[in-house]
Amino acid sequence: MRTEILASGFGGQGVVRLGQILGEAAVKQGYRVTMLKSHGTEMRGGYVRSQLVISKEPIGSPMVENADFFVALSLAAYKAFKHLVTKNGIILYDPAFVVELDNTLPCTQTAIPAKDLAVEKFGRAVFANTIMLGVLAKLVEEFDPKILLESILHIIPKYQEQNEKAFELGCALL
Amino acid sequence: MDNLSKKYLRPRKIPSTACSGCGLGMNHKAVVQAIYDLGLEVEDIVWGTSIGCAGRQTFGTWKGDGFAGTHGRVYAIARGLRLVLPPEKKIILTVGDGDAFGIGLLHLIHSARSNADFTVIVNDNLGYMSTGGQYGWTTPRGSKTDSSPYGMYEQNLMSDGMDVLGVLRNAGATFLARHVSMDGQRAVESIRKGIQNRGFSLIHMVYPCPTNFGSRELGTRDTVKIYNWIKKKAAPLGEEKENTLWATGIYYDASNSRREFSESIHRNIEKIRRTGTI
Amino acid sequence: MKRYLETGNFAITEGAILAGCRFFAGYPITPATELAEAMSSRLPQEGGIFIQGEDECAALHLCVGAALGGYKAMTATSGPGYILYADPYGWAIGSEIPVVILNSGRVGPVSGITGAPGQGEFYLTRYPTQGGNFETIVLAPNSAQEAMAMTVEAFYLSERFRTPVTVLADQLITDGFEDISVPESDGEMEEMGFRTWPRKINRGPEFYPAMDEIDVPPVVLGHNTGALCSDWTPTEEGYDIEQVQAHHKHAYRLIYKVRNHRSLFNHLYEKNFMDDDPDLVVVSYGTPSRVVNTAVKKARQSGLKVGAVRLINLWPFPDEHFRRKTKYLSVELNWDGQLVREVQRAAPKDSEVHFIGSCGDLPTVTDLIEAFERLLQGQSLARRGWELEEW
Repeated sequence: MRTEILASGFGGQGVVRLGQILGEAAVKQGYRVTMLKSHGTEMRGGYVRSQLVISKEPIGSPMVENADFFVALSLAAYKAFKHLVTKNGIILYDPAFVVELDNTLPCTQTAIPAKDLAVEKFGRAVFANTIMLGVLAKLVEEFDPKILLESILHIIPKYQEQNEKAFELGCALL
Repeated sequence: MDNLSKKYLRPRKIPSTACSGCGLGMNHKAVVQAIYDLGLEVEDIVWGTSIGCAGRQTFGTWKGDGFAGTHGRVYAIARGLRLVLPPEKKIILTVGDGDAFGIGLLHLIHSARSNADFTVIVNDNLGYMSTGGQYGWTTPRGSKTDSSPYGMYEQNLMSDGMDVLGVLRNAGATFLARHVSMDGQRAVESIRKGIQNRGFSLIHMVYPCPTNFGSRELGTRDTVKIYNWIKKKAAPLGEEKENTLWATGIYYDASNSRREFSESIHRNIEKIRRTGTI
Repeated sequence: MKRYLETGNFAITEGAILAGCRFFAGYPITPATELAEAMSSRLPQEGGIFIQGEDECAALHLCVGAALGGYKAMTATSGPGYILYADPYGWAIGSEIPVVILNSGRVGPVSGITGAPGQGEFYLTRYPTQGGNFETIVLAPNSAQEAMAMTVEAFYLSERFRTPVTVLADQLITDGFEDISVPESDGEMEEMGFRTWPRKINRGPEFYPAMDEIDVPPVVLGHNTGALCSDWTPTEEGYDIEQVQAHHKHAYRLIYKVRNHRSLFNHLYEKNFMDDDPDLVVVSYGTPSRVVNTAVKKARQSGLKVGAVRLINLWPFPDEHFRRKTKYLSVELNWDGQLVREVQRAAPKDSEVHFIGSCGDLPTVTDLIEAFERLLQGQSLARRGWELEEW
């Protein structure tokens, strides 16, 4: 059994860091993990992508071709990768960026207004990813929320108090 | 074989296979004399060489350890070696003008920049002579060579007020001198000072090539004629005449004024290892 | 054993340090820059030396200089830097100096695309310098963990064969994150199959013996052994010589010390579903092989008789895996087809040898299974966006 998680958005939104935090938490829980990042001079135009695969077994292909979860943080990313999500999969999109939805997709699509919530509750959009991680902590059964929070605090040493609150907010969202 | 050669050089390589009348032997001898004057032994020196006449003729002549680098790269090899050899081991490089001032100039400049402790003797036969005689970066303006049949008309590192030693001085070299091979004891003195500098030293030493430079530019292989031609164009620093091409003597001496490359790296590493920071 | 979520660059750095590497000279280039950065932070902690060269050519010369002084040394780069190694690589081959080189493949030719994976240096790693008359050893891992293991192995082989060894990775391996286990003791290293070999010193007078034996200690300068090493054809004592017979002896050694001792590393490969003489054998190396393995497993589940050979030891090319007449498919991260040519050469006459390539992005499992099906049905491969083309 492998779980595939895809996160994609603009540069600077913390897409790679999001993947890194999830990956590190999974390693701590004893999973095998691969996390490909495409970034920098991204040639396909308009998005940064993290492809995370988690499994109890050694991982073959590190490519996300059948995503169980897709965190869409920009419209370009949503359009580019929505078709990779399986019919039992879930797209978590931020409606601040993903402003038009494809209603023909067979999968579940859930709006997580992480950016607006972050600005409203903490005064800064940077906490949006932590809110999203809180949502994933509850949604992806492989993750132990306590360990995921530890990874957040380990990888982002700044603003620990706000991050902890943002994470809890995310956990309680769905 | 004289006593100096017996002490320091390998009989297998003496006499060398250089052309008759070649002046390289005088430069080579001056280096060995300077080593002797400093009281250094065979094991105190690792000797590196380049390619071309100067490199090939001096390679494997030293009784101790020796190496020859690929074209122009011996300075980078020597920097790597410098970092891992004990500081008391001296590195001496005998190279040619094409190697040092053409293909290897980038690496030479970075050796000067980092003030790496080795002494480079650039044996300048005024062009690429081992490939049959083409002009190089110190070939006098107007000289006829096989690749400048009408006279050398390129800008180079020794014309229009340019001086390759000025380039190296600005790059950070701490000892620079220039001689012609007939300078004898004066050249030995400069080489001795170069070896004593714990940092980057370079001695530029012009020497006569009868076979190629002499025959093309001067129209003769007569050793006496080419020796005299070089002598006439050289004068001690401060005594230059209008036709002087090579002002000889110590060009710049800031010996032991700036921290040496390897010493600096090792000091920092040691501190990082101890304290986690510099 | 310590576990991390870290990049291949981290894994390779730790592997090199475990193997005894205490000298790294590099030059910034995507996607190997982070390896140089990791070395700059880690080596001083271990008492090792990190330095930046003025270019890649200088960087490898610095390493070779340090190796000549008795250090285990390494450099790392990507294709545009690897090409600048031609000088020092050849020098190290000819003078038989142990040194390790990592190449993280990106998209070429020239600067191409910097942050995406490619496999354009399959042949370049075989012939990293001019002149011929030598054999090279190249290892190609397919994960960060294996990149660590192959770095350790490269140091081991470079010492025993006294020759440069290239670890050929790609951008996904060096830049990608993975769970990585780092051994913390000799026992754990042994458990993971890591082999090490200490630097020894050749005391002469025969520094370049005219025979194919391995385990001849390399030349180390600074011990007053009278060692000589140069870029010219050497006599056995290291003097330069222009003589055909002497060169023949030298070349014989450079070629046959490697060819005649392949048993030291020709176990470095992986085979999946190869026991029942499959109708199609998929050949690959590096990261694409991970997609191949997943695709072959899936294809087997749907009844396709497909097997996979994954090469880790790329050069000398292991012909022995291609002795059976069957259909072969080479999967590569390039559009021109490189590995496929070597498979064509090694496979029995009249074998069908096909190629499917992509560059900058991995092939997908879906694409690969479609290719397997077509080939097994005797159809030719469809190249996405390209005209139909037969190999």
